[in-house]
Amino acid sequence: MKQRSVVNTLFLVPVVFTFVMIIIVPFSLGIYYSLTDWNGVSPIINFVGFKNFSKLSSAPDFIHSFMITIGYTVINVILVNVVSFILSLIVTSKVKFRNFYRAGFFVPYLIGGIVLGYIWQFILNNILVSLGTAYSIEFLRVSFLSKPESVIWAMSAVNTWQFAGYIMLIYVAAIQSIPKSLMEAASVDGAGFVRNVFHILIPMMANAFTISLFLTLTYSFKQFDMNLTLTNGGPATRFMELPVKASQLLAMNIFDTATANKMAEAQAKAVVLFVVLVVVALIQVSINKKKEVEM
Amino acid sequence: MKKTIAVVLLTLMLVSSVFAGGAQETADTGDKTVTMFQLKVEIKDALDGYAAQYSAATPGVTVEVETLGGGADFGGALKAKAQSDDMPDIFQIEGLGGYNVWKDYIASMEGEPWLDDTDLEFIVDGTVYGFPVAIEGYGLAYNADILAKAGIDPATLTTRDAYEKAFKTLEAKKAQLGIDAPVSMAASLSGGMWWVAGQHNLAAYWGGGLDFTDTSVIEDALEGKMDEARFTEYAKYVQLLFKYADQNILLNGSYDDQVGSFAQGKTAFLHQGNWVDPNMAQMNVTFKMGYAPHAFTNTPQTGLYLFAPSWYVVNAQSPRVEEAKAFLASMATTPEGHDYLVNKAGMIPAFKSVTLKPSGQLSQALMAANAKGGNYGVFFGMLPDGAGQNVFGPVYDLFAQNQDDLDQFISDMKAAIASLPNM
Repeated sequence: MKQRSVVNTLFLVPVVFTFVMIIIVPFSLGIYYSLTDWNGVSPIINFVGFKNFSKLSSAPDFIHSFMITIGYTVINVILVNVVSFILSLIVTSKVKFRNFYRAGFFVPYLIGGIVLGYIWQFILNNILVSLGTAYSIEFLRVSFLSKPESVIWAMSAVNTWQFAGYIMLIYVAAIQSIPKSLMEAASVDGAGFVRNVFHILIPMMANAFTISLFLTLTYSFKQFDMNLTLTNGGPATRFMELPVKASQLLAMNIFDTATANKMAEAQAKAVVLFVVLVVVALIQVSINKKKEVEM
Repeated sequence: MKKTIAVVLLTLMLVSSVFAGGAQETADTGDKTVTMFQLKVEIKDALDGYAAQYSAATPGVTVEVETLGGGADFGGALKAKAQSDDMPDIFQIEGLGGYNVWKDYIASMEGEPWLDDTDLEFIVDGTVYGFPVAIEGYGLAYNADILAKAGIDPATLTTRDAYEKAFKTLEAKKAQLGIDAPVSMAASLSGGMWWVAGQHNLAAYWGGGLDFTDTSVIEDALEGKMDEARFTEYAKYVQLLFKYADQNILLNGSYDDQVGSFAQGKTAFLHQGNWVDPNMAQMNVTFKMGYAPHAFTNTPQTGLYLFAPSWYVVNAQSPRVEEAKAFLASMATTPEGHDYLVNKAGMIPAFKSVTLKPSGQLSQALMAANAKGGNYGVFFGMLPDGAGQNVFGPVYDLFAQNQDDLDQFISDMKAAIASLPNM
């Protein structure tokens, strides 16, 4: 057996090596750079301690990005999961063409976020606005993307359109793994559809909720590609007396900081994003885990 | 067992070669290769052609050009190249911000043969570092046909009051002229157009009506000070442009929307520079056009805004410094170079000895203005990196949403300028 363990270790080496090179090393370097004033090029790197972090607490644009990212995440987690749960109920019912719907709802997920952002930008900025102008529908006349109060909702709607089909598949798999006999027994006992869903279906698929909530939560928190192409951070709004970008989520705030050659500051923001995301995700998973039932 | 170890070692070697991939080991074949990395997508074919022509005519030197641009992250790509020890011999910077980042890699260009032939070389502390790629410039482009129909003489547009009168006339005759709005202006963050307002338009405040090299206003701003009287005049002009602009383009239009509207004759004025000439050619524009000044005061202003948008710099750490400089010098000093700059790439060369004329109408208008003199400098390159996009961009976007609130715009801008020293 001793020989075996040598072989096992050796087989692990390529994977561990790769993991170290592309995850551990950049991650540690990132934390190190967040404590410096490096601009991405200069060979001179000065250690500045937590200066980059303390700066963040008084930067209106960062605080605003942080808050709307939380807002966006809440809206998104609820919207995506409610919609995808309803979709999964539809495609597991006896409705005609259910397999066709299943495929149809999933297709948006196959379109990349960049392309999707441009498509919806065109729909929201051009098609809806022309419809509004042509038929004198007042609230459509100005694009949802150019009103600070509606832009986050528009983004969530687009994200739901893209992501709901994917989460739906997870729910469908969970629903199909529940023994039919349970539902039948409940029906025989006189439980209606709604009762069935809330008292049998949802508790039985709690593990699917754990993973779906985790996926949508982390995905929304890190949202970038669709944010960039759909709104590019715009329009502007006023926050703490200063003009800031109304739809600039955290990842995009980091990106904009980095492209302004403030690499260390951007890195500090990225570390904050990482820590917050880990904490929130751990809390979410541990709460959800408690609700899961063993068969 | 030995075999397994051999396989594992082989795998390791393969994996590590992935990480070593960045460092290039080019065998020296005797031919010196000069690599160039540039960001003007629109001149890619012309520049590739000129590099090939130059390589063929110059024994022992091969010039290879790599292009990345059109909104792609040039700075990021260049950083990746620097990290992987693959720095190009010639690259491009867009101002002092870029110089400060890359100064360890930028060689002095003192003593180059083209220095006496240009006013737009890139200078820091009295030393020349950059070769001007071209002259670009702008004013308020107008559709001469529409103005003629509306009875407006573009030569009279030298004060803010004259503009207001002209815009009012156009607004009143909208249906008759078949236009959507008088002005095609963009200021939206969402359309990615913050630079039209936050850089090019704001440049009127920095340099309008002043001497070509007078940087006093922007130098005060870099210390956090705003000239309130001057800015109020300017703000009224911005308000005028916004009020008479096509609102959808202003609030969420993209570059294509903005330029397209003017090209299709749906707006009479366009706030863009001579780089739209190729777009006009693509859209088969036949109407006559020209440039009126951004006259934001009621004291007449007649100049256009001229600048070198970017400079080629030579990598000081490369062993090919001389070859790289010679390649750049050939653009400025040989007839083939002039032919490339003007006829192939369609640019306005920054060198006075060039006698060729560009074909675009707006470029011709700029060249005429350049010959006439009395133009204004463009100094936004002196601002800290990200100031236009992250600080001024939102200010203009917000003003576009609330166009009546002039005082708020002025106080927002005052706060924005006050924050510059801390950037």
